[in-house]
Amino acid sequence: MTCTGCALLCEDIDVRDGEVRHACRIGTAHILNRQQIDPMVDQEVVDIDDAIRHAAALLADAERPMFLGFGNSITETQAAGVRLAEKIGAGIDPCSVHTSLIDDIVHSRVRTCTLPEVRDQADVILFWGADPMNTHPRLMSGYAYYPRGKNRQHGWEEDRTAIAIDVRRSHTASICKSVHEIIPGRDVEFIDALMLALRNKVPKTVYDSKRVLKLAGTLKKAEFGVIFAGSGLVGSVPRDAIIRLMDELNEFSDFRILPLFSQYNLRSIATAAACEHSGGCTPTPASLHDADCLLCVGFDLASSLPQACDIDASIIVIDPSETLTAGCADVVIPCAAGGVDLAGTAVRMDGTKIDLPSITKTGQTGAGARISDLSIMNRLLEAV
Amino acid sequence: MSGNISEIRFDRFLAVPEREITIVRYHDIFQTEAALKHGKFSKEYQDLSAVIVLDPADLKKIDASDGDHVKISSEYGTVVAVAKKSEEKKDVRANEGHSGVGYMPASVWSNILGSKPASAKVSRSQQKISTVGELIRV
Ligand code: SF4
Repeated sequence: MTCTGCALLCEDIDVRDGEVRHACRIGTAHILNRQQIDPMVDQEVVDIDDAIRHAAALLADAERPMFLGFGNSITETQAAGVRLAEKIGAGIDPCSVHTSLIDDIVHSRVRTCTLPEVRDQADVILFWGADPMNTHPRLMSGYAYYPRGKNRQHGWEEDRTAIAIDVRRSHTASICKSVHEIIPGRDVEFIDALMLALRNKVPKTVYDSKRVLKLAGTLKKAEFGVIFAGSGLVGSVPRDAIIRLMDELNEFSDFRILPLFSQYNLRSIATAAACEHSGGCTPTPASLHDADCLLCVGFDLASSLPQACDIDASIIVIDPSETLTAGCADVVIPCAAGGVDLAGTAVRMDGTKIDLPSITKTGQTGAGARISDLSIMNRLLEAV
Repeated sequence: MSGNISEIRFDRFLAVPEREITIVRYHDIFQTEAALKHGKFSKEYQDLSAVIVLDPADLKKIDASDGDHVKISSEYGTVVAVAKKSEEKKDVRANEGHSGVGYMPASVWSNILGSKPASAKVSRSQQKISTVGELIRV
């Protein structure tokens, strides 16, 4: 079975008698998660059909609807969401700082690779603004660092060099061979210094130029380098700076970049609903100001933007779990969770399509079964 | 605490010292697990989220100790959280500490302060920890 706890989509999960095997701490909690909320209209518990009808009425009446999220939905739900958006003239914002990097990867503006290629070939691995030990716990053991691979038979001890670049000394940094600390807000200066160092120029910088030169030397010697780009990189650096850095690295060696986001199917929706904002999409009160109806699908708007409950728009929540946004939404519709009690497909962080069998076997029918967000989307499509 | 007049700290009536810091968010696997296991309105999630890790030098400057409540205010919002002293080698930036930078887990408690990296004022506080309901005003 496949875990949808993060974008790694681990496929070796076994669930027997309520016990989850092979999954990490996040995956286990995700698969066993039953923090579900009742269907609600105006914060009163209602029948799920009433909630769907009410949501349809709000969407049909909306003049400027906006859809947020979909990164935690199966691809089939996303496709229905895109059709619904087209039908009622809504915009879709996946609400992730990673959307612009995904766009650059899909349009070949930067080189990328698959996770098995990392395992088989990568000798220099950069965790930039990323702490997978806390966000993608099985990345290091499954692909990025510890395992032996086709051309890396000696594994991490001899064949791989892990480097952390971050504003904080993270847990991942603690196992890396070298750590470069970024001064908050001065990320681009580090990139500029590194680019000069790659050209053997001594950078005049707030950073230790000797260490930057040493880092450049290591990167230039890489046979197959990979940057795992966390939110600390893509959320702080303009997308063109990342493209420039990747171009420069590829003048000297073979370097790839992989976005490290948590929503298990963000890559699919970000590809379907390309975001035009530079630096990725994250909602702000200003960007949401124009909308008169917000549909949050598997995305907790109020957690990212606590001021969201004050926004003068109606809010519809469709989510497998309780969210903060549900606490102030006009309509709440609980749904099944992809890969847990709903089968479908998703796209892993490296672009590989993965099947998601339903773990609990309840599917979409039977007593106590949760309705899928795909069925909800299809019913909304019929009703509006 | 006992009501003994000699224990009253008169400096409480003076302006509390505050310090300007930059808020940097981080991810914590135990906090993510608590959200999934117990929900985002739970005490378990609050205990792992309403936290700011401060450098010992900054704690000293605001006259606070590990475990004290601190008020953190930016131009976007205010939150009361628990101050934690950086553990040596684990949280500190190599060799030099992280004075001027406070680390908070990514959550509604840090997000209320604005998008990253947010600039905020931190000071010791007698107020109780902000609840989710107060922060999202429901
Ligand atoms: S690493 Fe991600 S996909 Fe794999 S078990 Fe953990 S949460 Fe699930």
